[in-house]
Amino acid sequence: MDCYTANWNPLGDSAFYRKYELYSMDWDLKEELRDCLVAAAPYGGPIALLRNPWRKEKAASVRPVLEIYSASGLPLASLLWKSGPVVSLGWSAEEELLCVQEDGGVLVYGLHGDFRRHFSMGNEVLQNRVLDARIFHTEFGSGVAILTGAHRFTLSANVSDLKLRRMPEVPGLQGAPTCWTALCQDRVAHILLAVGPDLYLLDQSACSAVTPFGLAPGVSSFLQMAVSFTYRHLALFTDTGYIWMGTASLKEKLCEFNCNIRAPPKQMVWCSRPRSKERAVVVAWERRLMVVGDAPESIQFVLDEDSYLVPELDGVRIFSRSTHEFLHEVPVASEEIFKIASMAPGALLLEAQKEYEKESQKADEYLREIQELGQLTQAVQQCIEAAGHEHRPDMQKSLLRAASFGKCFLDRFPPDSFVRMCQDLRVLNAIRDYHIGIPLTYSQYKQLTIQVLLDRLVLRRLYPLAIQICEYLRLPEVQGVSRILAHWACYKVQQKDVSDEDVARAINQKLGDTPGVSYSDIAARAYGCGRTELAIKLLEYEPRSGEQVPLLLKMKRSKLALSKAIESGDTDLVFTVLLHLKNELNRGDFFMTLRNQPMALSLYRQFCKHQELETLKDLYNQDDNHQELGSFHIRASYAAEERIEGRVAALQTAADAFYKAKNEFAAKATEDQMRLLRLQRRLEDELGGRFLDLSLHDTVTTLILGGHNKRAEQLARDFRIPDKRLWWLKLTALADLEDWEELEKFSKSKKSPIGYLPFVEICMKQHNKYEAKKYASRVGPEQKVKALLLVGDVAQAADVAIEHRNEAELSLVLSHCTGATDGATADKIQRARAQAQKK
Amino acid sequence: MAFPHRLDAPELPDFSMLKRLARDQLIYLLEQQHEVDKLYKVENKPAVSSSEQLCFLVRPRIKNMRYVASLVNADKLAGRTRKYKVIFSPQKFHACEMVLEEEGVYGDVSCDEWAFSLLPLDVDLLSMELPEFFRDYFLEGDQRWINTVAQALHLLSTLYGPFPNCYGIGRCAKMSYELWRTLEEEEDGETKGRRPEIGHIFLLDRDVDFVTALCSQVVYEGLVDDTFRIKCGSVDFGPEVTSSDRSLKVLLNAEDKVFNEIRNEHFSNVFGFLSQKARNLQAQYDRRRGMDIKQMKNFVSQELKGLKQEHRLLSVHIGACESIMKKKTKQDFQELIKTEHALLEGFNIRESTSYIEEHIDRQVSPIESLRLMCLLSITENGLIPKDYRSLKTQYLQSYGPEHLLTFSNLRRAGLLTEQAPGDTLTAVESKVSKLVTDKAAGKITDAFSSLAKRSNFRAISKKLNLIPRVDGEYDLKVPRDMAYVFSGAYVPLSCRVIEQVLERRSWQGLDEVLRLLNCSELAFTDMTKEDKASSESLRLILVVFLGGCTFSEISALRFLGREKGYRFIFLTTAVTNSARLMEAMSEVKA
Repeated sequence: MDCYTANWNPLGDSAFYRKYELYSMDWDLKEELRDCLVAAAPYGGPIALLRNPWRKEKAASVRPVLEIYSASGLPLASLLWKSGPVVSLGWSAEEELLCVQEDGGVLVYGLHGDFRRHFSMGNEVLQNRVLDARIFHTEFGSGVAILTGAHRFTLSANVSDLKLRRMPEVPGLQGAPTCWTALCQDRVAHILLAVGPDLYLLDQSACSAVTPFGLAPGVSSFLQMAVSFTYRHLALFTDTGYIWMGTASLKEKLCEFNCNIRAPPKQMVWCSRPRSKERAVVVAWERRLMVVGDAPESIQFVLDEDSYLVPELDGVRIFSRSTHEFLHEVPVASEEIFKIASMAPGALLLEAQKEYEKESQKADEYLREIQELGQLTQAVQQCIEAAGHEHRPDMQKSLLRAASFGKCFLDRFPPDSFVRMCQDLRVLNAIRDYHIGIPLTYSQYKQLTIQVLLDRLVLRRLYPLAIQICEYLRLPEVQGVSRILAHWACYKVQQKDVSDEDVARAINQKLGDTPGVSYSDIAARAYGCGRTELAIKLLEYEPRSGEQVPLLLKMKRSKLALSKAIESGDTDLVFTVLLHLKNELNRGDFFMTLRNQPMALSLYRQFCKHQELETLKDLYNQDDNHQELGSFHIRASYAAEERIEGRVAALQTAADAFYKAKNEFAAKATEDQMRLLRLQRRLEDELGGRFLDLSLHDTVTTLILGGHNKRAEQLARDFRIPDKRLWWLKLTALADLEDWEELEKFSKSKKSPIGYLPFVEICMKQHNKYEAKKYASRVGPEQKVKALLLVGDVAQAADVAIEHRNEAELSLVLSHCTGATDGATADKIQRARAQAQKK
Repeated sequence: MAFPHRLDAPELPDFSMLKRLARDQLIYLLEQQHEVDKLYKVENKPAVSSSEQLCFLVRPRIKNMRYVASLVNADKLAGRTRKYKVIFSPQKFHACEMVLEEEGVYGDVSCDEWAFSLLPLDVDLLSMELPEFFRDYFLEGDQRWINTVAQALHLLSTLYGPFPNCYGIGRCAKMSYELWRTLEEEEDGETKGRRPEIGHIFLLDRDVDFVTALCSQVVYEGLVDDTFRIKCGSVDFGPEVTSSDRSLKVLLNAEDKVFNEIRNEHFSNVFGFLSQKARNLQAQYDRRRGMDIKQMKNFVSQELKGLKQEHRLLSVHIGACESIMKKKTKQDFQELIKTEHALLEGFNIRESTSYIEEHIDRQVSPIESLRLMCLLSITENGLIPKDYRSLKTQYLQSYGPEHLLTFSNLRRAGLLTEQAPGDTLTAVESKVSKLVTDKAAGKITDAFSSLAKRSNFRAISKKLNLIPRVDGEYDLKVPRDMAYVFSGAYVPLSCRVIEQVLERRSWQGLDEVLRLLNCSELAFTDMTKEDKASSESLRLILVVFLGGCTFSEISALRFLGREKGYRFIFLTTAVTNSARLMEAMSEVKA
């Protein structure tokens, strides 16, 4: 234990810095780091190396190799660089490698060396070449800033939504700036550059000269500048060996330090912890590493090897050919517990627990001491917190054990912080493992969130570990396991060496019906890799047939799409597919397809009926559906055609179709209609008035009303109007005319086929009782009573009814007996009834 | 007079929630989203509005799209620019967008959707207000609304819990049900664990029972619908009813106390009831004589308003009754009813046929004539070829040749058909079925029915006992069974099927009926063995009519509910009647 603080280095009075090894690297580098372009992603990300052959005067004949390693030095990818000279490498927030070429082209690679895409930084950059480039991170994503050969800056704040911004010119700038950096203030990216003793800030519109507050005099040049991880602080290294540290706005100085080394440092990065008051920068030269802060002395380390610094949220990673280390300020909780002779409650609790394990009564003493001060809760919390910041599992364990021990003496200590810390540490230890190689600290992990961590595991194709973490943390399936399985499946479909069947089966076995997994998404990916057959197989597993359709259409499997759409029951989807098919197939094939899908056919017909009448006709023609074809032409005869000739022609076509359909009735009716139309036309010409489009019945009625009785008779004969109808018709028409004389003549022309009751009724309707009575006498015996009642002759009706001895008639008459006038009649009926009953 | 519900009858679910939902959605949509300030009815004429924006709230129909397109194009010609928005209800169809595109206005119009599908017309009646459903599905074979039905059912189950017992009959019922199930599966978890409020759901296609819908209605509410046409739960009573020169719009639902008591009554009772009511009312008014001041004050402040209200309603309904009486108690109507009953019972077919012929010859009414023809066809398994031809000829002569298309429609929908030559084998067939096993007979009849879908009404009627045996006069004041809604002559087939299935809790034992209905493959039962359903909810039944239901059916089931202690809730694509059905099938000149 005594040696635990051995690697702690004090900086000033209040802070300690420690450096510990994360991994020993066995990445077997052929090159020296200094000969390479190096890029390491923050948050324990991967490292990319590209031996830089372009830096030398003579270009080497061999092509360089781009290599990507995990933070633990495991090779992830290696590829021969075939494109143009690269100026700078950098990682985006999504862990994509951005390679900025001299011509301003940016190539984007995945973690596994898979080419993703490329974009250009614009013509201006292309013409003037790239002198220097930086990849920087903002809250929107990752940006690229470029310094061109013309000493102008171009930047894009977000490479996934590329908008190029050309920064304003720096007046009087002759050579390249000695150093520069991209800043991000108020959500806008700026460039800060140093030319000789002057500093300039470039924003979108202007270039302004700035001076750091409280800068020591005598500076003739700035050699290096460093922005902190959060863009809040800035450090400047001058040619006098003086370091100025302040806010990024340059308006406030935090501290300064004079290291008396005039050689320009290789790298300078900030090393600070969130929420810590301590500010420090790490400066690296060839063989020397220096931590400077607000203290007269600095911490110095010797570098045995060529090293590279990676700024992190809460410290600095330093890797070389053989090791990978982490340098950071010791967190408060750890400091309190482990500082020599610390009496902090956490320290006491740790002691107490150790004594307890030794079965020593000292344990009780320590515990009592804490309890007397009432600091046990604080002690437990301290131990839990400190455990999080420990890298070594044995230390984590002993701290947690202490916390757990202390917890026993507390009532109602909420357990979640302890439980969560145990879980978090387990996850952290798992991913820090050499084989995984993501050396996240607790603070970084919390900042990154579990979701992003899972994404990164997926990106590294570490599906089993990701799933285990999800299950261990009991994340909801849709966010956790399902999502990872879907990613896995999308990766799986890219394995070209496995057969379609095997891939589909493997995917289905793993995924089953896991909720939230969309087979159609996976299939889309498969199709994207050119594996159409596999995509179709995968779609079979998709339970929602509606989801299958868009992809099937994209894959030009329209017929399959059609049947799937029909299966889904969503007519709208069916219709979408239909329109697709219509454009894709020739007409004949399209109709054939429809023929086999009645539901689609009727849908399309509906559409055609309103929008494409000609197509509708073709559809019927193709099916030899003469019946519908006939109907189609009938409709046309009164809806589409205006001229009488056209209408007759349409009807003729219809009649022909009906004959073909063996619908003689319709054919005959249509022919009659043709005849009628022509006739009506003639009538209009000869007699005037409107006849067109009247029904046969109405035509005859109109004729009679117009007094053309002869014509009416002729028409009735021509169209073989049945007698009954003719009688009804004439009767109504004559009554309407109130031509009683003609009516009487008509009634006597022969025996009425409809009887004479209608005559009575119609006369009464016209309130002509006199005429009505004439016909009432001629009404046949069955309806006599009715007729008599109609004309109001109740007494006679009663007589007839009694004569008929018809019970129904009797009650009918009785119901018509009203008031006193019919009193006698009513009595008569009652008597007749009584008599009938007696018999 | 109005039958009270049994004391243990379950409470109806609260549908005001649906109303509120729809209203709030609409207000939000129109006011917040689209800044609409004035509403007009969409009619096929140029829009007279000078506003900067036109917003259309329409059904997704091609016709409507052409109208919108023509407006936009007219504006373009006139050189004016404004914004156009189309809100589709209940959903947007791709075909509509297609039309806008083809008419060249797709870019000018922005589209939105209002997923409104359930309008509570009454405490127990929900309507989707999709009258076009009937023609679209049963004539054109267009299944677009099935999705809408499934969505509506899904909405109901999210609001009122899952339905433990589901029954259905008909192709559309089956498809809607399956689609609905898929929806529920996709979004499971939401309804799980909810207590079901409604114990049963019964889906029924209109084509299972055309007969009932084709009959003249004689229950008060049905008569009002047949005579004056109830639209969305309200009716316009013309001057002949109000006995003033203005017409009056009246909401007809359970809120109307007078109406609520007579709506389900046979018309012959209504007048008596109303006069009794009038006398009671008078008596209540009369009480005020002999009151002291305090009592009078009480009377004025508490009762008078109610009495006045009741008085007003009473006079409206008496007016309506008189108007109906004038139209319906004529001899014509009596004979019409007599003919209908003869058709239902299947006697005096010749006489009925000549009655129909006369009806056509006299040009009484094209719709009525058509209805009678259909009724004849369905009850008789199609017309005999001679009648089929002659009636059609007569009809064309009377009402115009374009009805050739109407007949083609009716034939396709199975409403008016010709007896296929195979039908004369019915006698043979029945003999065969006695001789060989039922199974073989089933196969033979299947072969026949594949020739023409036959209605088999007579056989079904016998099997289900739809024509009650009359011993003596049927007392319409004290109904014995559901037949009272048709003067005791006929129990509505649809309601009988529902009754039978609910009694058995399945289709078991109804195989023969299903075969006769041509629905052997199209009936389903689905029970979840959940015992979470309370006994109260198990007596609540949601009946879904796909293609519309009539007020007579509603009255019949309300009666059944009172008898058995159930409560029925009705969901229909639209309230319909015989005239609406016939109009949907008719081709009229544009």
